[in-house]
Amino acid sequence: MSTTSAGLESRRRTKAGIGPLDYSRRLWIRLVLIGTFLFLYAPIVTLIAFSFNDSRRNIVWRGFTMKYYEKALNNDGLIEAFVNSLTIAFVSTIVSVILGAMVAILLWRFRFPGQAPYEGTVMLPIVIPEICMGVAMLAFFARIGWPAGLPWPLNLGSIIIAHISFSFPFVAVVVRARLAGFNRELEEAARDLGASQWQTFRDVMIPYMRPGLVAGGLLAFTLSLDDFVITFFTSGPDTVTFPVKVYSMVRFSVTPEVNAASTVLIIVTVLLTAIALWLQNRTQPKDM
Amino acid sequence: MLKDKRVRPSRRSFLAGTGAVAAGITVLPRFAVGAEEPKLNFYNWDTYIGETTLDDFKDATGIAVKMDLFADNDELFAKLKEGNPGYDLIVPTNDYVQRMIAAEMLDALDHSAIPNFKSNVAAQFQEANFDPGRKFSMPYMWGTIGIGYRKSKMDGVPDSWKWLYDSDKYSGKIAILSGKAAIESALKYLGHSLNADDPATIKQAEQLVIRQKPHIKVFAADNGQDLLLSGEVDITMEWNGDVLQVMEEDDDIGYVVPKEGGELWQDCLCIPKGAPHPENAHKFINYILDAEAGAAIADFIQYATPNAAAAKLMSEEYRSNPAIFPPEAVIAKCEPSVYQGAKRARLMDEAWTRIQAA
Amino acid sequence: METWRRNPLVFWIFLVPPTIWLAAFFLVPLGLIWVFSFGEKRGLVDIEITWSLANYVRALEPLYLQIIAKSLWMAGLTTAICLVVAFPVVFAISFAPPRWKPILLLLVILPFWTNLLIRTYALIAVLRTRGYINFTLEWFWDGGNQILTAVGLGDLQLLGASFQPLQLLYNNTAVVFGLVYVHLPFMVLPLYASMERLDKSMIEASLDLGASQARTFFSVVAPLAKPGIVSGLIITFIPAMGSFLTPNLLGGTDSQMIANVIERQFKSANDWPFGAALSFLLMYATFGALAMRSLLARGSPGTEHGA
Repeated sequence: MSTTSAGLESRRRTKAGIGPLDYSRRLWIRLVLIGTFLFLYAPIVTLIAFSFNDSRRNIVWRGFTMKYYEKALNNDGLIEAFVNSLTIAFVSTIVSVILGAMVAILLWRFRFPGQAPYEGTVMLPIVIPEICMGVAMLAFFARIGWPAGLPWPLNLGSIIIAHISFSFPFVAVVVRARLAGFNRELEEAARDLGASQWQTFRDVMIPYMRPGLVAGGLLAFTLSLDDFVITFFTSGPDTVTFPVKVYSMVRFSVTPEVNAASTVLIIVTVLLTAIALWLQNRTQPKDM
Repeated sequence: MLKDKRVRPSRRSFLAGTGAVAAGITVLPRFAVGAEEPKLNFYNWDTYIGETTLDDFKDATGIAVKMDLFADNDELFAKLKEGNPGYDLIVPTNDYVQRMIAAEMLDALDHSAIPNFKSNVAAQFQEANFDPGRKFSMPYMWGTIGIGYRKSKMDGVPDSWKWLYDSDKYSGKIAILSGKAAIESALKYLGHSLNADDPATIKQAEQLVIRQKPHIKVFAADNGQDLLLSGEVDITMEWNGDVLQVMEEDDDIGYVVPKEGGELWQDCLCIPKGAPHPENAHKFINYILDAEAGAAIADFIQYATPNAAAAKLMSEEYRSNPAIFPPEAVIAKCEPSVYQGAKRARLMDEAWTRIQAA
Repeated sequence: METWRRNPLVFWIFLVPPTIWLAAFFLVPLGLIWVFSFGEKRGLVDIEITWSLANYVRALEPLYLQIIAKSLWMAGLTTAICLVVAFPVVFAISFAPPRWKPILLLLVILPFWTNLLIRTYALIAVLRTRGYINFTLEWFWDGGNQILTAVGLGDLQLLGASFQPLQLLYNNTAVVFGLVYVHLPFMVLPLYASMERLDKSMIEASLDLGASQARTFFSVVAPLAKPGIVSGLIITFIPAMGSFLTPNLLGGTDSQMIANVIERQFKSANDWPFGAALSFLLMYATFGALAMRSLLARGSPGTEHGA
C-alpha cells in the first residue's frame, strides 16, 4: 500500500470514525509498520534476487539463471545440513518451551529462599558470550566422553542439548513477562468453582500463557535455527547444521548457491509454519 | 597411543560407530586392524578440492569421502584441541601444522603408504622447516599474501606495502586483512622479519598501522576480494588465491606480491590423532599427490601446486601466471609465518586490540 | 506470589526439571571454563589451574575497560532503538484483527529464520557504496538534475558536481544499524507476550475520562506493558553486548566490541584463560545487576510482579 492511499484511507475512516482503540488503523502506526517491514525485508529480497544471478559471486548482476537451485538441491551435504537444522530446532524448541515455562511459573508464583540468585543463575545462558559457551560445551562433551557415531537422529543429541541450554532461559523471560499480567483472582475463582489444581492449570493458566508460549517458542526456534558458534563447537563430521555449513562457505565469498539454499530454507520454514498455523486455527478457531 | 597422557578421551572413545575402529582407545597398531569401512571424513576449506576429485577417488577405491568445511585455522585448532570428533584428514596451514605437532594433535604419517610423495612432489617441498622430515604433513597447495588492486584506479603497479601502510594516495579505498596478517605485513614494510618477536619492533608496526588508520576503510575479515570486486575499496591485502578468483570475474583486477615480500604459506594434509580411518586417509593423500588427480585439483582451484608431476600436466597459462607463481626474486623476499609460542601470540593480540581501540 | 511451603508438591514439580537441566548441561560445562579463568597457559593445549587472579587483573586494564565501555554504549543504543521501533509495531499487531495477529507476528520473525551471516551479507549488499540505497539516491539525484536542467538551472550544480554516495558501511553507525537489524525480535517477542490481550477496557476508561492519547499511553499502556519492556530490554541488551559477527563485518577500523576480543582469545590468541576471565567478568556484572533487580523488585510490595 502506498503512503498516499493509506493516508486517504485513514482520513476516510476518521470520518466514518476510527475507534479510539483502532490503533492498527492509524496512519502513523501503519507507516512505522511499513517502514519496519521494508527494513526487515530489503536484505531478504536482495538475497532472493541474487540467488538467480548467473555469477559465481554476489556482487555484479550477470543475468538470470536457475542453475544454483539445481546445484543447491543436488548438494547432498547442504540437504543433510538442512534436515539436521530443522530437526534440532524442532526438538529444542519443544523442550525449551516446556522448561522455560516451568521456570517462569516457578519464579512468578513462589517465594523461596535463594530466589534472587536462582533467578540470576537461570539468566546466565543469556548472559554468557556465545563463544565462551561454545568452548564450554566442547570441553564438556569431550571430557564426559559423549558417545559419537550414533545413528541419526541420536547423533544430534549433543547439539540439541546445547541448544536447549541456551534457549530455555529466553523462553522463561518471555513467558514471565506474560504471566506478570495474570489476574490471580481468575485462578482462585476456578478453584472456588471446584476445579482441581491441574484443571485450573490446564484450563486457566495455559490458555492465558499461550501468547507467551508462542512468542517464546518462536524465539527458541529462531535462536536454534540460526546458531552457529555453539553448534560449531558441538558438531562433528556427521552432524553439520545449515549455519555451520553456510558459515564455512560464506567466509570466502557469498555464492548464489548459498542464497538459493537460504531461499529454499525460507520457503520450507514458511510452509511448515503455515501448516502449523492452519492446523492450530482448525482446532482452536477462536483466537491464536 | 594410550601411553600418551595427552590424548584426551575423544568423543569417539565411548561408542565407536558400527564397524568403525575405536581409534581413540584402540591399543592395536594402526594397520593391524585390517580393512576399514570404506569411509573418510575430510575436513577442508571451501572450494578447495577438484570438482570431481571425491567422486573419482570413490570410483578408484570405493571409499566414500565426506567433506566438511572449516573457515579458518583458528577454528580448526580450537575445535580439535579438546579431542577429535571424528575427522580423518585435515588441511591446516604451515604455522598451524607446527602448533598441532607441538600440541601432539597429529598422527605420524606412514611414508611407505604415500609413494607419490617421493616421486611427484617438487624437491623444495620434500622438506619443511615447520615439520622436519615431513613426519606429520604432506604439502597440498602453497601461495602468498600480497596486494589485490583495481588496475584502472592505480598509478602503475602498487608493488609496495607502502600504498597500504604509509601513503594517503588511496585514502578511504584501502582494506587490510584483520589480525596477525595486518601487523606482520607492516613488519615486512618496515624491513623486519614478519616473525619478529621483539616487543619494541612489534610496537613500531602497531604505531605504523595506527597512524595509517584514518586512510584505511576497513580491516577485512577475509573478504577483501569481495570489497575489491564491488568497488568498495581499490587496494587490499589478500591471499593470492582469493584475488585470483575475482580476477576471473573482472579484468580490471590485478595481484602483486610487494617488493618487500609477504607471507609465504603452505597448506598441508595431516591426519589428526584419533582419526577413525587413518588407512583410508593415507590412500586419499596418495591419490591427491598423484599427477593427474593433482592436476585436476590445481586446474579447478587455481592455486600453486607443490606437485611437480601435476604441474607438468597443466597449461602454460597456469604455470606462467605471476599471481600463482610469483617471480623467484620476490619469493626470495617472502617468509613463512612461524609459530613462536604464547608470549608472542599475546603480544600480537594485544597490539591488534590496541590498534582497533585507538 | 506465595511461599513455596504452601504448596510444596507443585513447587518441586516446577523446580526440579529445569534445575537439573541447568545444572547438568549448563553449570557443569560452565564450571570447566570458570576454572580456566583462574588458570595459566602451559604450552599450547594445557592449562594449569593456579587459582591466580592474573587474568582478571589483566581484564581490568584500561585498554579492555575502554572497549567494554564502548560495547555498553553501542549495545545500549541498539536496545533503545529496538524499543522505539518495536513498540509501535507490537502495538499495531496486538490491536490488529485476531485473524491477522499470527500472520503479522510471523512476518516480523520470518527474516530471522534466515542465517545471520547470509542476512548480514545481504544487508551489506543494500548498504554498500554501490548498493541499493545509493543506487536509489543516485537515481533521484539524476532525476533532480534533469529537472533542474530542464528549468535552466543545470549549470548551477545545485546538487553538487557529481553524485556522492553515502558511506553507510564500515563505521560505528553501520554496526548499530546491523545490531538493530539482528536483535529486533528479541524486543518484539516479549513485548508482544505482555501486550497481547492488554486489558483494553483500561485504555478506553482512560480515554473516556478525558485523558489524551499521549497521557493514556504513558500512564496506562506503558505501566501495563512494563514487564514486557523490562524483559525485552534485558534480552536485547545482553546478546547485543555479546555480538562479534556484526562489528566484524559491518564495522570500520575502530568498531571492535568486547566480544571480538573474547572471540580472539578462544581462537587466534589461543588464550583460553584470559578469554574465560573476560567472559566471566561480564557475567559477574550482569548476574549482579539481575539479582539486584529481582531483590529490589521483591523488596517493594507494589512491584512484585516485575518481570
